Amino acid sequence: MVIVMRSGASQKEIDAVAARVKEEGFGTHLVQGTERTIVCVLGDGRPVDQRKYDVMAGVEKTTRILKPFKLTSRSMSAGDSTLRLNGTTVGTKPVVIMAGPCSVESRTQLLETAHAVKEAGAQVLRGGAFKPRTSPYSFQGLGEEGLQIMAEARDQTGLPVVTEVMASEQVPLVMKYADMLQVGTRNMQNYELLRAVGRSGHPVLLKRGLMSTIEELLMSAEYILAEGNRRVLLCERGIRTFEKYTRNTTDINAIPVLKDLTHLPVILDPSHGVGKWAYVAAVARAGVAAGADGLLVEVHNDPAQALSDGAQSLKPERFATLVRQVRAVAASIGRA
Amino acid sequence: MIVVMRAGATKQQIFAAVARIEKDGFSAHLSEGAERTIIGVIGDDRPVERHTYEVLDGVEKTVAVLKPFKLVSRDFQQEHTTVKVNGVVFGASSISIIAGPCSVEDRAQLLESAHAVKEAGAQALRGGAFKPRSSPYSFQGLGEQGLQLLAEAREQTGLPVVTEVMTPEQLPLVTRYADVLQIGARNMQNYELLKAVGRGSHAVLLKRGLMATVEELLMSAEYILAQGNRRVILCERGIRTFEKYTRNTTDINAVPVMKSLTHLPVLLDPSHGVGKWAFVTAVARAGIAAGADGLIVEVHPRPAEALSDGGQSLLPERFAELVQQVRAIAATIGRE
Repeated sequence: MVIVMRSGASQKEIDAVAARVKEEGFGTHLVQGTERTIVCVLGDGRPVDQRKYDVMAGVEKTTRILKPFKLTSRSMSAGDSTLRLNGTTVGTKPVVIMAGPCSVESRTQLLETAHAVKEAGAQVLRGGAFKPRTSPYSFQGLGEEGLQIMAEARDQTGLPVVTEVMASEQVPLVMKYADMLQVGTRNMQNYELLRAVGRSGHPVLLKRGLMSTIEELLMSAEYILAEGNRRVLLCERGIRTFEKYTRNTTDINAIPVLKDLTHLPVILDPSHGVGKWAYVAAVARAGVAAGADGLLVEVHNDPAQALSDGAQSLKPERFATLVRQVRAVAASIGRA
Repeated sequence: MIVVMRAGATKQQIFAAVARIEKDGFSAHLSEGAERTIIGVIGDDRPVERHTYEVLDGVEKTVAVLKPFKLVSRDFQQEHTTVKVNGVVFGASSISIIAGPCSVEDRAQLLESAHAVKEAGAQALRGGAFKPRSSPYSFQGLGEQGLQLLAEAREQTGLPVVTEVMTPEQLPLVTRYADVLQIGARNMQNYELLKAVGRGSHAVLLKRGLMATVEELLMSAEYILAQGNRRVILCERGIRTFEKYTRNTTDINAVPVMKSLTHLPVLLDPSHGVGKWAFVTAVARAGIAAGADGLIVEVHPRPAEALSDGGQSLLPERFAELVQQVRAIAATIGRE
């Protein structure tokens, strides 16, 4: 950490800051510039509480040098982490495509969609049984019945299933059925839930909060890893900006940035990222071109009848085209 | 336009709104719902100021149905516009890459850059002579001397040159040297400048403002087309969001969205979009995969010594790799 003193800070103030740093067991290095003095804190890896220094007399600001996350950091791991889901591995060369409806609505709808996405080339099935909807009056999901239908779809298709868990109390139930637990965008900073999925040891798909920075996403992943669970997959799904033509703004920069900062696999959700089906395939291609390890795509056998996210859901045949296009893009960057 | 009346609006208020619509030369179509009445305004009401209706008694809001832009719209012209500049065609099936330094700094720097980007496969040369810098103390560009150097680089390499014009007064001067006039992000809503370039016939590269929506960008393009100049190329270059790890947030959604809303060519500037050279290539690949007609990329022979944007400028050899990678991606989606 670097402590920047105000211009005109007295020697006494500087000495007091340096003394405080030493008191906490850190080394100091003073840089006296022409206009102001900065105090470098030479740490030993222990966290430093910036606020303690921000309030001291004569201090203008403190600037962190080290990244606040550790276990998720690329420097903590020799290579890329991979995550195995039954026979499918995420985070290796081949791009992994997860697809399915936003919500499990009925047995017919889910099974029909599951077979369709499998045929089109998806390797993992998505579908929500517990749904965090903006309005309390919207369809809230089928709950355990939905999970049972997901399990049946897995039995029929062989596709591993990913589904959302909304509260730590739901973790034991959802784990019974799901191959991967999804922590949704609205729960990215639900720390009790993060700890619970961390303790579960089950694979976790962690989606970026719609108002969260990349660093905050990594800190949330850190919560899971800190509980001993390293089977975490990160997902960019669009952030909120002033642009209102699209549902969200896909932060495409986040893909190469995350791949650089962390060893964890990174996927893109183009469906939420753009929010209109007509643009989903283009954004999906962009995600894979930018280096994403996979995609999470909403597909519905009959989007016009969908109980949620119909407008951003692809019909199975359009999804099949998307798969062909992204596989071609993947091949062109050596990720067949 | 649709005029939505408040629940409980009186008959008299509804009649007054209808009378106003008819007085403006449109016809009105009333739909009386269970809770409220809405009035459809029939006719090309683009020039109508919606707020003049919103202040009427009993009106809750108005909703635009038509897009506010016309000449730039795909509804107005189905086929792609191509902009030809000295043998280079923007908006054709092959992608076009513009590259060069942020600023023209001196003769050696520019000529070296120009030859390097040409060799790496660029079709046009960029370089700023008039620079809109955030700080008035930063390097402001070489002015006319810079333009002369750009013209010399064009003679040596054959590459058409793209350079920024900041005011209507500069226009005659810049037009004498440049093949494409760039309107920078900070001038996207400088309407006098837009009208001035619109009155000419020079090709214009219009960059999206960093706080401007896609619709606002298209309205700015409309200013140019409305003056008679249809040779306009649009450029997404990242918008301002809460994410601070990157300089801007590349709005990748904007690429397919604009390709569907307008017939004009759309480029991506990955250098400003992400702002760190290490991520530029990944974002460039994403742009082409998403359907951009080309790229504008900052390249500098010695980024560490650059007077502006060194942190996001690529070395020529890294730019050559970028070109190879984006051409491979272009080929997979049927573009050269």
